[in-house]
Amino acid sequence: MRDDPTVIALVARVGDGDREAWNELVERYAPLVWSICVRYQLSRPDIDDVGQTVWLLLVEQIGNLREPAALPGWLATTTKRECLRILRAERRHDHAVLPPEDQMPPDDADSVIEQEIIKAERDAALRAAFAELPPVCHELLSMLIGDPAPAYAEVSVRLGMAIGSIGPTRARCLERLRRSPHLVTVLGSQAGAIEDEEPRGEHRD
Amino acid sequence: MSIVTDSWDDETVLAALREAQRARRAVPPEFIEAAKSAYAWHNIDAELAQLTYDSTRESADLLSVRTEAAPIRALTFSSAHLTIELEVTPDSLIGQVVPAQSATVVVQPSTGAETEFPTDETGSFAIRPIPPATFRLHCRTDAGLDVLTRWITL
Repeated sequence: MRDDPTVIALVARVGDGDREAWNELVERYAPLVWSICVRYQLSRPDIDDVGQTVWLLLVEQIGNLREPAALPGWLATTTKRECLRILRAERRHDHAVLPPEDQMPPDDADSVIEQEIIKAERDAALRAAFAELPPVCHELLSMLIGDPAPAYAEVSVRLGMAIGSIGPTRARCLERLRRSPHLVTVLGSQAGAIEDEEPRGEHRD
Repeated sequence: MSIVTDSWDDETVLAALREAQRARRAVPPEFIEAAKSAYAWHNIDAELAQLTYDSTRESADLLSVRTEAAPIRALTFSSAHLTIELEVTPDSLIGQVVPAQSATVVVQPSTGAETEFPTDETGSFAIRPIPPATFRLHCRTDAGLDVLTRWITL
């Protein structure tokens, strides 16, 4: 994952002042920041607060990331730290006794964060691969992943596709998706070790 | 082609795609727009002052001796040439530029208009009211130092 060329290219373009690249980076990783905040069960205003801090810090730090491919790890670690900052502040406000450690036990928290990073990378790669599919595949798969998934008869009517060709088209489209370079990079590296996810460019206060 | 990828059957790929789209839709559009607008802070040309002290980070040790009055929060931001000390009172931010010198302190909210506060000749300043959301302080001394603090959320 640390060799994902998409992330490295995006970080480099942001460093060169490319605003579009920044927007792409946000689209790609906002779900990661969001999902970690949800894991910590923050309120919506607190999530907005964390998001703002995380992205402002990233804008400030992005030129200093020693290893651009470690960006997901940096984002996850920074988000987690900001979540904990808010939780601690709330406990102080409530005059509650501070528990000895944070809401989740450290080991659990770390493995949850690692899972979120892996999932965010996989999801982002899937969305990127999906976006590059031919229109017919895009339409068909969009319908098939609907909830509830429509019957083939309905797919046939809505897409003007013979029922008999839906199955083979579906198989062909999924094969294209599976063969996308986006997925090869991410899925291929999932067999690799988790220590590759350690954030490299983490800033210090 | 990797074995991992090949091992994903059609149903697995479809389920993973469904989950990826769901995860993206779970993020409110305003959250994403706010993140995009953070780019306006790219390439600020000033020396960055890091947070080097925050009294609330020490507070766990002080709980046993806490009185009814809320303790005053103290923050220190340091750069190579300048230190900015801050105390959070109930209605204001009281600050001091060290070493003592005249300067202009600008409150930069992450969104919205900036506000300027001149220091006196000893570098003391008071910011009223307390900025409501995330902000940073941009300090320009008469001697030409240009220092920007990290983001602050009180």
